[in-house]
Amino acid sequence: MSYFFQIVISGMVVGSIYALAALGLVLIYKSSRVANFAHGQIIASGAFITYALTVWAAIPIYISFVMSMVITFLLAWSVERIFLRRLIGEPIISVIMVTIGLASIIDGLIYLTPFGTKNFSFPTFLPPEPIAFSGVSISWTQLVGVIITIFLIGGFSWFFKKSTIGISMRAVSDDQFASMSVGISVPGVFGLAWAMAGLSAAAAGGIIGNITGLNFDTLHAFGIVVFPVVILGGLDSILGAVVAGIIMGLIQQFASGYIDGNWGLSGTGEVLPYIILLIILLIKPHGLFGIHEIERV
Amino acid sequence: MAANRWLATGNFFTTYQEEQRTFITSLDRLIFSLFLIVLFIWPIFFSVSRTYMLVVDNILVAVIAVLGLNLVTGFAGLISIGHAAFMGVGAYTIASFSRILGDSHIIITHFWPLLIFIAGVAGAITGAIVGLPSLRLKHLYLAIATLSFQMIFEWAIKFLTFFNQGQTISVGRVVWFTGEVGRNDHYIFWYYVALVIIVLFGFVVSNLFKTRYGRALVAVRDNDRAADAMGMHPGFTKVYAFALSGFLAGVAGAVHAFLYKGAGIESFTLHHSITYLAMAIVGGLGTLNGSFWGPAAIEILNLQVEKFSEYAGNYLPSAMNLATALRPFTFGLVIVLFLMFEPRGIANWWRIAKSYTKTWPFRY
Repeated sequence: MSYFFQIVISGMVVGSIYALAALGLVLIYKSSRVANFAHGQIIASGAFITYALTVWAAIPIYISFVMSMVITFLLAWSVERIFLRRLIGEPIISVIMVTIGLASIIDGLIYLTPFGTKNFSFPTFLPPEPIAFSGVSISWTQLVGVIITIFLIGGFSWFFKKSTIGISMRAVSDDQFASMSVGISVPGVFGLAWAMAGLSAAAAGGIIGNITGLNFDTLHAFGIVVFPVVILGGLDSILGAVVAGIIMGLIQQFASGYIDGNWGLSGTGEVLPYIILLIILLIKPHGLFGIHEIERV
Repeated sequence: MAANRWLATGNFFTTYQEEQRTFITSLDRLIFSLFLIVLFIWPIFFSVSRTYMLVVDNILVAVIAVLGLNLVTGFAGLISIGHAAFMGVGAYTIASFSRILGDSHIIITHFWPLLIFIAGVAGAITGAIVGLPSLRLKHLYLAIATLSFQMIFEWAIKFLTFFNQGQTISVGRVVWFTGEVGRNDHYIFWYYVALVIIVLFGFVVSNLFKTRYGRALVAVRDNDRAADAMGMHPGFTKVYAFALSGFLAGVAGAVHAFLYKGAGIESFTLHHSITYLAMAIVGGLGTLNGSFWGPAAIEILNLQVEKFSEYAGNYLPSAMNLATALRPFTFGLVIVLFLMFEPRGIANWWRIAKSYTKTWPFRY
């Protein structure tokens, strides 16, 4: 039974990271209807900036974590300003391909640094021995990561529910013309959405880096894995991202815990999200909490 | 019929058939025939090293693939981020024959044109199945659906022992009328095969858009409701677009498998799907000649980047591998710059150059 609960725990940990990673995608999609294929690369850059600040610049990790969030906030904002703003109103294929091109550019930039080829791991700053509770254990890093994730997602939800800027962002996602007519700068909101996605990506990157170590391939793979998550949750719902993230994390961990090794199967955790994605797209394309806006042909 | 068959100026059409001809003037036909002849005979006069011949072959295989991708993404407006997987289906069809029969079985060595066709059909069937979600989905959702097909395909190949878990499955050398195609002639031989396939399908595709089946694709892209009102079935048209593109991808994959004398998963990853999409965009989406410009441009760019990083590598610490960094960087930069400044691709430059030279020295 403890095996079962162990899998539940690790599923929750993975799931909360998925939720945080998916949050950035949802933020951008919600306001500007752009699917960001460069999200994995932004997550990776956030993680690497945190590492560089912590280890190379010897800044305490708590400060460097926040600093990297600020830096990535600015980076993502400038990415939107330079590349995406010119493409407002262009066909969807152009926008998708620009984000794919951006992913490629960031790939290239990261390969110029040592992070592209070598593996790094954060210095331990939390007690190394895991918290064990009747056979079920969770490491301090994972626990702190989950707590930070919960706080961040709570913060974002509050921001969207209560703050003026958050409300104006919701307004833009509802109706761009109406928001323009009441004086909201729509391009400004797009920029802000990217910037906040960058911020959440940096947080996700920092947490993933602390839990699994810094490996570029694993980090930017998150940019693709979040797609099943956001589709399951609904592309424009923050609550959906959280719920779907945790569901997907649990599914993955259960698949690798119970299916792998039996019936000659292996690596099912990697493929199951995509199979679920296809099923969701076929029967309920707007996801669990998304807005019903799919056009039937 | 216009009085002068050689010049575009003063030419006018009196019937729809005249307007739909592939070559408007005899000059066009002459230039195109000369160009084709040059394409067929240049390997006889210039001996190219095997390395460069492989690059040329790669371009041609990519042209076949991008021709298919252009059908589905350019003409029918359905974003496919799984094109390399369709190619993989074609390549692995050949590989399965090789695996079951042995890599130098008479079917592989003598009946390879048939096998290429079968690979195309396998690609078409897979394309139709993957295209089924397009009955309900559009745009981004469809892109993600094809993306997930790509991921599932990669996993399946890596998982199944029948496919050697993604390791290369060797395919034997083929036999032509002059005997077995040896090591020296291998790349030139497949150059000709790919060229013949491209010319064949180039004409098929260009003629397709003179028929109702081709026009239906464009109609559904531009306005699916209007197309529906005109009596086309948008859903089936989309599935059929995917099948067509899958066929071409399967053929391209089969040629790729024969060219490399084997099929391995590393040639059919997500990265390759994105590369084909980039080729289609750089060439010009929804244009036939864009399918030829794009692959050439991207492959030549890759070659130059590799040359440059080899050159620059002499001046840098040896631990740094510049090519791994520069390749994605320039690739991404080219995509982004094209989308920002020339979304219609190289085909647009070609169109401008053509219309300029056609009326020269007059400006109109």
